[in-house]
Amino acid sequence: MALLEIRNLHVNVEGTEILKGLDLTMDTGEVHAIMGPNGGGKSTLAKALVGDEAYEITEGEVLYNGKDLLEMDPEVRAREGVFLGFQYPVEIPGVSNTYFLKAAVNAMRKHKGEPEIDAMEFLQMVRERARRVKLDETLLQRPVNQGFSGGEKKRNEIFHMSVLEPKLGILDETDSGLDIDALRIVSEGVNAMRDGERSFMVITHYQRLLQHIVPDVVHVLVDGRIVKTGGKELAEELEEKGYEGFDEAAA
Amino acid sequence: MEAVAEAKSVYLTAFEQLGNTGPSWLRSLHERGIHAFEARGFPGPREEAWRKTNLRPVTSAEFPVADSQGVAPKALVERLGDLGDSYHLVFVDGRLAADLSDLSDLAKGLTVTPLSQYEDSAPERLQSALGNRVDIDWHPFAALNTAFFADGAYIHVARGAMIEKPIAVTHVITAEANGRAVYPRLVVEAEEGAEVRVVERFIGDDEASTLVCPVSELSAGDNTILDYSRLQEDGAAVMNIGTVNLVAKRNTSLRGAFVADGGRLGRVDLVADLEGEGGEIDCNGIYLTEDRQFVDFHTWFNHREGNCFSRQRFKGILQDRSETSFDGLVKVFEGAQKTDAVQENRNLILGKRALAHSNPRLEIFADDVKCTHGSTVGELDEQALFYLRTRGISAEGAKGMLTLAFAGEIVDMFKVDGVRSHVRGVLMRRLGVEDADIGEIL
Repeated sequence: MALLEIRNLHVNVEGTEILKGLDLTMDTGEVHAIMGPNGGGKSTLAKALVGDEAYEITEGEVLYNGKDLLEMDPEVRAREGVFLGFQYPVEIPGVSNTYFLKAAVNAMRKHKGEPEIDAMEFLQMVRERARRVKLDETLLQRPVNQGFSGGEKKRNEIFHMSVLEPKLGILDETDSGLDIDALRIVSEGVNAMRDGERSFMVITHYQRLLQHIVPDVVHVLVDGRIVKTGGKELAEELEEKGYEGFDEAAA
Repeated sequence: MEAVAEAKSVYLTAFEQLGNTGPSWLRSLHERGIHAFEARGFPGPREEAWRKTNLRPVTSAEFPVADSQGVAPKALVERLGDLGDSYHLVFVDGRLAADLSDLSDLAKGLTVTPLSQYEDSAPERLQSALGNRVDIDWHPFAALNTAFFADGAYIHVARGAMIEKPIAVTHVITAEANGRAVYPRLVVEAEEGAEVRVVERFIGDDEASTLVCPVSELSAGDNTILDYSRLQEDGAAVMNIGTVNLVAKRNTSLRGAFVADGGRLGRVDLVADLEGEGGEIDCNGIYLTEDRQFVDFHTWFNHREGNCFSRQRFKGILQDRSETSFDGLVKVFEGAQKTDAVQENRNLILGKRALAHSNPRLEIFADDVKCTHGSTVGELDEQALFYLRTRGISAEGAKGMLTLAFAGEIVDMFKVDGVRSHVRGVLMRRLGVEDADIGEIL
């Protein structure tokens, strides 16, 4: 059974239709790259999948693990294993990164009927996962994203993902703001989680992230629809030729 | 005008009927109080400092002095232990409840005495301290207190004495005081080089529609450390209109922590005077309102000498249709150079029909000073709420988390451990946050 099936998805933002009948199917364990020009609807897809109310679903359906994803509240989607690494993570003053994550981990455990995590076990896990993405330990105690640089925010998103261990990780332009070393570290963090059970939707404008996180499938999203699907070589092709031809195809 | 005149005579008549008894020095103080009230009357709605406070429920009714028997219900007695280990003095409806108080093994240098125990032989320093600071000609409720208080607490810390255990003074208002008035009084004097922590608390029965008019006068001598917490957790129908006077002398550190939670109407006029070089007054407060509650904080910070430092950080969390007002003045007197003053008021609106007024003010008559003020009124950040939810936190949990984070900065500043954890508990209950993990944020 497919992990994610998106059928004829239409999404409006502030009265404008951004997704215009998007179809996409992902199987368990796969990495799919969503590429496309700016304004094509990549971030809209990500936000709609995690339940941002500003993104109004007007038509279509999304099945996740066979369940109707669109019926679930954002927190239920998260507890069911859907994670979004934000393009622009918000700063949350006064909420410590670690305590917040512990609350999140426990919310997920409760959802699965598991007991709360042991404090020591949690701390060890957090430290180990932070090391994995080379996140400075001082950032664990700081308020979520507050005063973090652009790159630190992106690493923090991947760090959150590695702690929460989702089934479907959606990474929205995680490569922006990362220098080449950071890009490698973040990619290694993601690759370490590829175990055949977890799937990833990697949203990116450029091919450079996909040199490190090699996708199984590449989709081109232009003007609210998937206009082409192919293998990893499609990303290289896009890097060379750009999206001009696809713009015409979409029009 | 007629209504005001009538209200005045009601209080004067009550004063005469009550009979001004007690030691002579106290009698003359009571006289001064009633005369000040008679001359001043209740403030009119156009008076700037009282414009936001709706006094109609107070001025349109009569509130004879409570004459209940001083018996606190069990549920309220159980709350007395909430603040942890402390010396404690309990007043029920304005009168000492000796059986609920514990002043055993007072530390050396510490005197805690109910005012009702003093006769003509009261210490000179008490006689001069009592009523010395509060401006009864300006504040009619302080004048009423001065006319009618029957008891209260006098805390004196001798020169150089370091008092480790906090002193808790609790005012309990019972249903017996319904429709009546209670006048709590607190005087604290810390002599040079002393250190002391005082917690003043108001709790009460939700059935009591009582007018509570407290006056608290605290003065800290040179080089002292005085920490004062005021927890206003009144019963739902109480109208609590009080004054707090803080005086800091040379190189003194005076901290105030304020919580206003409960009551139908709450107002505090906090007057802080920096009277010696190097003095410091740092006051932080949280007010939590719900339903149709109204809370009003007026602060008057007077920098009378140079090189003094003051901080005010007050945060409001407003639910339902409640309304709050913060009106804060920092006044730098001529010659008070190198003044460093910060005043902040932040309000978080959780109820769609809640209303927060904020009016920070500066008056500066010196030219080498650093004074800043800031004021905000806002709602929870929708993006932050959504972000938390995408990590699995429930909508309610996310709201609680962000609200606790908003309040957390102030809670951390409460120096007395028992008070800090108590305030945390109050916040958690008020916000309906039960999840222990969310609580850890504070």
